[in-house]
Amino acid sequence: MYDTILVPTDGSDTAEYAVEHAVDLAEKYDADIHALYVLDTSAIDVSLGTEQVDRIQQGQFEDMPELQQRANDATGAVASRAETHDIDVTEAVVAGQPHKQINSYATDNDVDLIVMGSAGRSGVRRALLGSVAERTLRSTQIPVLVVDRQD
Amino acid sequence: MIEAIDPIVLQETALDVGEFKLIPALTVVAMLVLFLGVGYFFRVAAVDELWVAGRSIGSIENGMAIGANWMSAASYLGVASLIALSGYFGLAYVVGWTTGYFILLIFLAAQFRRFGKYTAPDFVGDRFYSDWARGIAAFTTLAIAFTYAIGQASGMGLMAQYIFGISYEVGVIGLMAVTIAYVALSGMLGTTKNMAIQYTILIIAFTLGLYAVGWTQGWSTALPYLEAGPQVAEAASIEAQFVEPFANASYYAWIALAFSLIVGTCGLPHVLVRFYTVDNERTARWSTVWGLFFICLLYWGTATYAAFGGLLYDSEVTGGDGFAQMLGIEADALVVLTAQLADLPTWLVGLVAAGAVAAALATTAGLFITASSAAAHDIYTNLYKENATQREQMIVGRSTIVGVGVLVALIGLNPPALIGELVAMSFAIAGTVFFPVFFLGLWWENTTREGALAGMLIGIAISFGAILNDTAIPMYTGVEEAVIPGLATWVPGTSSALVGVPVVFGVIIVVSLITDEPPQHVKRLVRQCHSPEPMSKMESAEDAAADGGTPADD
Repeated sequence: MYDTILVPTDGSDTAEYAVEHAVDLAEKYDADIHALYVLDTSAIDVSLGTEQVDRIQQGQFEDMPELQQRANDATGAVASRAETHDIDVTEAVVAGQPHKQINSYATDNDVDLIVMGSAGRSGVRRALLGSVAERTLRSTQIPVLVVDRQD
Repeated sequence: MIEAIDPIVLQETALDVGEFKLIPALTVVAMLVLFLGVGYFFRVAAVDELWVAGRSIGSIENGMAIGANWMSAASYLGVASLIALSGYFGLAYVVGWTTGYFILLIFLAAQFRRFGKYTAPDFVGDRFYSDWARGIAAFTTLAIAFTYAIGQASGMGLMAQYIFGISYEVGVIGLMAVTIAYVALSGMLGTTKNMAIQYTILIIAFTLGLYAVGWTQGWSTALPYLEAGPQVAEAASIEAQFVEPFANASYYAWIALAFSLIVGTCGLPHVLVRFYTVDNERTARWSTVWGLFFICLLYWGTATYAAFGGLLYDSEVTGGDGFAQMLGIEADALVVLTAQLADLPTWLVGLVAAGAVAAALATTAGLFITASSAAAHDIYTNLYKENATQREQMIVGRSTIVGVGVLVALIGLNPPALIGELVAMSFAIAGTVFFPVFFLGLWWENTTREGALAGMLIGIAISFGAILNDTAIPMYTGVEEAVIPGLATWVPGTSSALVGVPVVFGVIIVVSLITDEPPQHVKRLVRQCHSPEPMSKMESAEDAAADGGTPADD
């Protein structure tokens, strides 16, 4: 049923919450896991400056060790969790709008299931931040398992 | 030089205000839609292959982006205003704002590219191995963006009066709201290509008005910049102070102002980051050269506008009684007022005014991003929460933009000084606080953390103190005089850097000499920044230094 499971992560606790579910499913179905980190260009614009978005577009990502580190830490956390269960893991980093990039990555890599966390925000915080999980649900045809985090 | 503008009363200005003008209003809307549209077209939708070099930004394109960043209400409106009011004295702005690029070109552009960081506070924090230094730099960045943006808000309000026929106050609030919306919409749109196109549109709007005035008045044909001599002479015969720069202000004041603007240019965080976008230091250098050229295209026109505008004001408004008594708000709108007094068609006057609004808006948007990155990246993430996610940084950044926007609009309602002067204050801060740490940080490897911290704190005390002394405190206590008048003469808020920079340099050098040397890896990084070896494509000093490569001699 599921051969390839995609776990998008931003390195947050919320995202890692979903990893358990992904690993468990992957074990049961003998599936591979893809850990994907999306550099959110809108977030980079306001947090690092527009020029940095330009740099990424020009292929200067190699020149930005701190961003790489963040991305590698996030996907690495997923990978190490999965590897303890002998699951094959592919780590990937792309840049763009998270929900669109998750969808296109999933399509390109024949992903059968997307497992992702959601902070379960409501009210003002949700209006300001939106929900990547919700947008992903709307933009993809692939089944999505959303693991809500309840504090 | 500094005087508070009285609360603005509509009917007192010669500018044709109080009436909604459809075509100019549509021009403003069209410009903004075009900016957003172009930005959308070139947006960074997706980068799947992060390790493959994409299209590089060329030096001409980056130079235009530097020009667009630079072309604010202060350059577009303010410089002509200051030249009209204080004659040759106002040329300090033109001299200062162009000479600064030479210093950048020779000492800083390529070296910054080699250092290769993200923001100005990043450079300070990493070079001086100190989170305190990073924090102070981030705070200064916020202060510079804030002061700079107040000048823009003031320009927006003046233009809104002409275009939309609304009051100044409504104009400031309305256009600030539009700016915040623009920043939100332009999220990932404001890339270099978009800025190059912005520059082209703005310089056309500015220059077309100038040429049209020259033609219709029979003053100039092909090159008004060179042909305006007789008009300048005529302006001088009407108002002798036009060519007597030191009649009302001292020689010292001119030098102090020009010096502050020069070093301020080299200390502006949002100018510096443009050098990070290019592939190598050669492109960084050439973008500085092109940027200077594109900025000059604007500045040559400002002096000509001032002469033309002065003559027209004299003949059309005062009927031969001169133009020196022009109100501050009239002077700040002089570029548009000149076009209006020359009886140019409304659409053309509107285009000039729309250009001013768009220039102010685009620059403000850039400043807001600078402020948001200082808050979200440098303060929140680097100092407060190391593992903040992208989403958290985004919320901090966006809240900062809204917060700064509201504050700027509030202060902009009753600005404490002319547009050009407000911007000069932000330059005095940048020059006094940042220029010494940038310069010594890049060129003297023994500059220590303690030296930089002491220097920046002294710099903040001098530049902020000067502004409080002669502008902020008098403004809000209603007292005319500066708190300490003697201090205001020698260390004015608009030009505190002439005193501030040598003092800060001295403090940094002395403290650095008596404190422990910086760690080896920092020294190697500094040496790498001006190594004679050309930098290979996409390599920063940090990579080269980390390779353990032989530190280059310099």
